[in-house]
Amino acid sequence: MPKIRIKMNETLHITSVPANLTLLDFIRDRLGLTGTKKGCDSGNCGACTVLLDGKPVNSCLILTVEADGCSVDTIEGLRQGRGLHPLQEAFIEHGAIQCGFCTPGMILSAKALLDENPNPSDEQIRQALAGNFCRCTGYAKILEAVKSVISKHR
Amino acid sequence: MERRSVIGQRIRNIDALEKATGKAVYGIDVSLPGMLHGKILRSPHPHARILRIDTHKAEKLPGVKAVVTADDTPKIKYGAQIHDEYPLAVDKVRYIGDEVAAVAALDEETALQAIRLIEVEYEPLPTVFSPREAMADGAPSIHEAPQNIVTHIAFERGRVEEGFRQADYVLEDTFCSSNVHQAYLEPHVCVVKPDGSGNITLWASLQAPFRNREILARILNVPEGRIRIVQTIVGGGFGGKATQLLSLYPICAFLALKSGLPVRILNTWEEEFSASRSRMPAEIRIKLGIKRDGTFTAKELNILSNCGAYAGTGPAVVGTTATRATSLYKFPNVKCQADLVYTNTTPIGSYRGYGNPQLHFSMESLIDMASEAIGMDSLEVRLKNAIGLGEVSVNGFVMNSCRLKECLQTAAERSGWKEKRGRGRKVGRGIGMASMIHVSGNRAIYPFFDGSTAYVRINPHGGVDLISGEAEIGQGANTIFSQIVAEVLGIAIEEVRVLPLDTDHSPFALGTFASRVATLGGKAVLLAAEDAREKLFAFAATKMEVNPEDLEFADGRIRKKGSIDPGMEFKEVAKLASHANGGAPILGVGSFVVPSSVVIPDESRYGNISAAYSFGIQVAEVKVDRDTGKVEVLNFFSVHDSGRVINPLLGEGQVEGGVVQGIGYALMEEIIRKEGKVINGNFTDYRIPTIGDVPPIQTVFVEEPDPFGPFGAKGLGEITQVPTAPAIANAIYDAVGVRLKELPMTPQKILAALKKSPIK
Repeated sequence: MPKIRIKMNETLHITSVPANLTLLDFIRDRLGLTGTKKGCDSGNCGACTVLLDGKPVNSCLILTVEADGCSVDTIEGLRQGRGLHPLQEAFIEHGAIQCGFCTPGMILSAKALLDENPNPSDEQIRQALAGNFCRCTGYAKILEAVKSVISKHR
Repeated sequence: MERRSVIGQRIRNIDALEKATGKAVYGIDVSLPGMLHGKILRSPHPHARILRIDTHKAEKLPGVKAVVTADDTPKIKYGAQIHDEYPLAVDKVRYIGDEVAAVAALDEETALQAIRLIEVEYEPLPTVFSPREAMADGAPSIHEAPQNIVTHIAFERGRVEEGFRQADYVLEDTFCSSNVHQAYLEPHVCVVKPDGSGNITLWASLQAPFRNREILARILNVPEGRIRIVQTIVGGGFGGKATQLLSLYPICAFLALKSGLPVRILNTWEEEFSASRSRMPAEIRIKLGIKRDGTFTAKELNILSNCGAYAGTGPAVVGTTATRATSLYKFPNVKCQADLVYTNTTPIGSYRGYGNPQLHFSMESLIDMASEAIGMDSLEVRLKNAIGLGEVSVNGFVMNSCRLKECLQTAAERSGWKEKRGRGRKVGRGIGMASMIHVSGNRAIYPFFDGSTAYVRINPHGGVDLISGEAEIGQGANTIFSQIVAEVLGIAIEEVRVLPLDTDHSPFALGTFASRVATLGGKAVLLAAEDAREKLFAFAATKMEVNPEDLEFADGRIRKKGSIDPGMEFKEVAKLASHANGGAPILGVGSFVVPSSVVIPDESRYGNISAAYSFGIQVAEVKVDRDTGKVEVLNFFSVHDSGRVINPLLGEGQVEGGVVQGIGYALMEEIIRKEGKVINGNFTDYRIPTIGDVPPIQTVFVEEPDPFGPFGAKGLGEITQVPTAPAIANAIYDAVGVRLKELPMTPQKILAALKKSPIK
């Protein structure tokens, strides 16, 4: 089995995995980090979004061996010290969470956007979140939540 | 100082923190030591006799721990309403996806390999996929039902022929709606653990665990007490995880009992699309009589619906289609005939709105057509016929609260209806509206009662627990319940803990469907909290030597009303009460049964089925591209009479989410089948709205407390997507002058319609 080194939420994991193990299954089944959700398992819904070297990816479409040498961030790594990330605060405050199944992936996609572009337009937010399905909220409060974080930054 | 009420406040969801941090445990996250993985072998044939099943090779595969077929089961038929299906096929399969056998193995891959080793010899039988063909003479018989009819509905109230004679115009047309999936993001999944003595525990994200347990006990042929269902956090339901239990659950139980080990089964999305229960499609021929002044004189419906291979919740769903929307208006005469028919396709089920969106689409579209025929604004026609407070509809619904007319006026004002209507055709812009009605609980769903029970427990340590069997599925039920408890007990909402739903500990409850939870569940919570308060005050009164009626809560204390005496601390009273009673907590019990005026409808489908009805209006503004046929929803207004809104933040969330599902239903979603086989069973080919597809949505609550609901609340969950499709259809007509009569209203259909119709 191939050996891999992955920095997961700031902790280095050196282990060997089957070549066909997806990053999603590695995160959930091997590391027990179930905050990353398994939705469609085919790269459509975005529930399994994680940050691979800071970029949002569907972890169900990536093999663990492809992430060798990379750093991966999941929702569990998002807390800033003891506090919540401003996006987590905003999603809670603005009612952007109903069933919450899309939330971890949605928040990580939003984080990747804001890390790269702290002041995105509505259109840029829509583009960045277009790969994350939400069936509960109708997206209105998700958009509001992300925008509220931008306005706080200003 | 008067304490600020928590009712009507924009309070955040109490479980949002665990969801935002990835800590929430959903059905898909449950994992037990030594757990096996199950896979189901499904029928590749739409209709076939099973001649032989050979599982030997599968059983011998290393890693396989159990293989089950119907022979390992008691072979007891079940169903949400009609008992017509087995969890594993006996003798026959009736659709592509029907469950035939199942395997539990050490890992998913081995299980998958094993089901491929199961040999099944089929004898294909004649197939039928459309309800019309299934009813025809000589059609293959799917069950024993004459003409394959599952449910036939026929009723007439008033005199419809005479009504049509009184009309100045009679319009008649046919509207078709599609089969769409709930598309909750978490697929069906469960884990079953046997305890070795015949008891099992099942973890799953279900909407109605107690009803599900009843069905499971029937299938397993064991007493209900041997089954414990623990509800996990639910990754979306929308009706798809409610009263119809998918075979996956009992199959998982059979595998667990046979192997003696915990077993997990997870549906793939291919299985979700081909073998879970999605929305009933309907073909509705509707005829409307209208006078020149806009008065409706009669309405007649002919409904034909495809049930698929098993009845499921279909009979009640089509019952809703046949009646519900009729109660929006003062129809003096109505007639209806409906047939729900078995075919060799995936069985249908319940999805937000039950059968209600289907009739709304046809009726609200035809009302616009009729308004044009008499040269009246459809707003005025709706206002003229709208049902009102204190009235009884032609189907027997009693309107104890109803602000439909105010909703119409508000929607028109907010959307700029008068200024915009009919003005955008040159640029392909249009505006359209549709009315809505839905229930707050439906007495007809469970034969024995409708109501709810809750416990409010004040523990010796002073903490307050709420225990209800009604299901939180993301809609915010537990937050609403906490608000109600906090309000009655004068404590902060953070001090209320809602215990997880567990059939071993929670009181029996019907569950989350029919928009019943906030209203009926909330009413039980209110009564339980009041009972707890009464008991707490009774004890405090003896300590303080005052009358219980003279006590009040103030800042976490109990004191004499208006007194400057600080009284006693809430927590201190709870502790002392427990000490005085052998450690017993103060247990408030709230049981609520709907009043006797709420009934199961009679054979003519007449009867007041709910204690409260919700109303509203949606207005869509669209732009239609004449070259591509693409519809863009530019603006959306959703105006609701759902009584008093306990939490507007969550209420808006229900509206926005419902509207967007409605946009999907209107414009893009449809499960497509060829010879009974789903050909777009994935999210690449089955498109649901993304953040790029949604317009700004303005929500308005026209609030008037309902006399019945807790703090005046009525149902809001399902109604929010009920009229979305006709509002958009009417807006498309206003924009480009073509009338779309078939959902979804795709660019291809719009282009085809535009081609036929010269620019007006």
